[in-house]
Amino acid sequence: MSEHVSRAGVLAIYVCSFLVGCVLMGFEMLGSRYLNPYFGSGIGAWASLISTVLCALAIGYFAGSAIVDRQPTTRTIGTMILIAAAYMALVPATADAVMADILDTIGDGPMATLMAATALLLVPLTLLGTFSPIAVSLLTRSADEAGRVAGLVYGVSTIGNVVGTLVTTFSLIPTIGSRAITYYFAVVLAGCAAILFVPFGKKTPDVH
Amino acid sequence: MPAHPHVQPRETDKSMLIRSVISGALASLLCMAAASAQDTRHLLESKESLYNNIYVYEQAPYRSMTFGHNRRIYTESVYNTKDELDLPVDYTRFMTASVMYAKDVRSILEIGFGGGRTAWYLHRFLPKVQVTSVELDPTVLEFAKKYFGIKEEPNFHVANRDGRLFVQESKERYDIILIDAYRGPFVPFHLLTKEFYQLVKEHLAEGGVVAQNVEPSTMLFDAAVKTIHSVFPQVDFYEAGGNIVMVAYPGDERKPEDLAAIAQERDKEFGFRYKLADMLAQRKRIDIDNGQVIDAKAKVLTDDFAPVEALKSIERHNKKLP
Repeated sequence: MSEHVSRAGVLAIYVCSFLVGCVLMGFEMLGSRYLNPYFGSGIGAWASLISTVLCALAIGYFAGSAIVDRQPTTRTIGTMILIAAAYMALVPATADAVMADILDTIGDGPMATLMAATALLLVPLTLLGTFSPIAVSLLTRSADEAGRVAGLVYGVSTIGNVVGTLVTTFSLIPTIGSRAITYYFAVVLAGCAAILFVPFGKKTPDVH
Repeated sequence: MPAHPHVQPRETDKSMLIRSVISGALASLLCMAAASAQDTRHLLESKESLYNNIYVYEQAPYRSMTFGHNRRIYTESVYNTKDELDLPVDYTRFMTASVMYAKDVRSILEIGFGGGRTAWYLHRFLPKVQVTSVELDPTVLEFAKKYFGIKEEPNFHVANRDGRLFVQESKERYDIILIDAYRGPFVPFHLLTKEFYQLVKEHLAEGGVVAQNVEPSTMLFDAAVKTIHSVFPQVDFYEAGGNIVMVAYPGDERKPEDLAAIAQERDKEFGFRYKLADMLAQRKRIDIDNGQVIDAKAKVLTDDFAPVEALKSIERHNKKLP
């Protein structure tokens, strides 16, 4: 462990875990609104979105576990989340041009839909995917705790996923519109990043 | 996908509801034996497609294509096997009212083919007119050809495509564009936004017209009217057996006497079974912006903001068309 996290830091990590979970699935639901006008609203669009999200998470988990070996600090995850926020903030203004471009060059088959989902989701969700493994590593002080901490982090973030999915679908999309929601998500992520930039723990020398 | 939660010919809403519930149970397969004992219709074939659960029923001489949704069955299309020019579902007749609005009648595009009754009727009475229809669900097309007497012919083509994608990629312009895309009770949101209607408008020939079938019992109706009106200054309404057909066009309002003259001329020229002149008598205009009929708070739907499912769940009350 390269950092010991204070009690406030622990709380901050769990809160961010929940919020990042919310945004992650909320953004997947929004993905359908960006995709549908160009690639239809069938099961194919959903298959593309879901597989892209899971791909992003897989890459994020692997990347996160690699980061754990090098620089597992709250600043690191804060940076990841900040980049994801910046990417999301660019989506509303650029998505239509990107979708139209894909449609013009590749058409509207499964490859094109997958490509569109990738352009929309892969980068920010991969970055968000690094959160959980790093969080587990920061919160674990001894080997016996590892399982308990991992369970808590994934539980909290999955509750965030559920809340994000439901709130986005049933209350945000019907009231404020997809582009505005995307900006709010970016703001929420930037807020999480800001929290994580607060120096919660004092650095201790690397163990390896 | 075509049509709408429409009623079997000559049935009351209540009996439809009862039948829907019965058929829904049938669809669930659990109560199949019990339900079919009470249902006089004969299931010809059912298939789960990429987009729908499709059932084709026969109750001689009618065949109906229905989509199962929400434990109800939504009739998409009704075909009279003894008479291919019969349009048993009211609103499909009124979709053809668009013919008296178009400056020329050389090409027609339909979005949402279903069992293809409207398109086929127009093709038969207007054999020289290029009729193109777009249907998302390949199984719907398969069943239309298998059970609803549809075949490819010169001047009659069906494309298997998402309606919006088709319009977006099309380089053609059409004199008449008919919009009737439903999936069970829902219209896919991307076929109900301002951006979509703008695309449609860009594909209208000069003097062209759009007709759309809408279901008027929920707040989605108010939003749909405002949305189409945001692109087309003129909207005429035709009440058609529980559904409403909106005929929308750019430019100034068409005078009833001019429409009547064209209706009479085209009735004579093409020999339509359902007379345009008779339909004209049902034409209604409403003031869309005064908040009397169409809810003043209803919003124009856009690609960004189109909560179709939420609007669909709010009942409209006591604001009838005049």
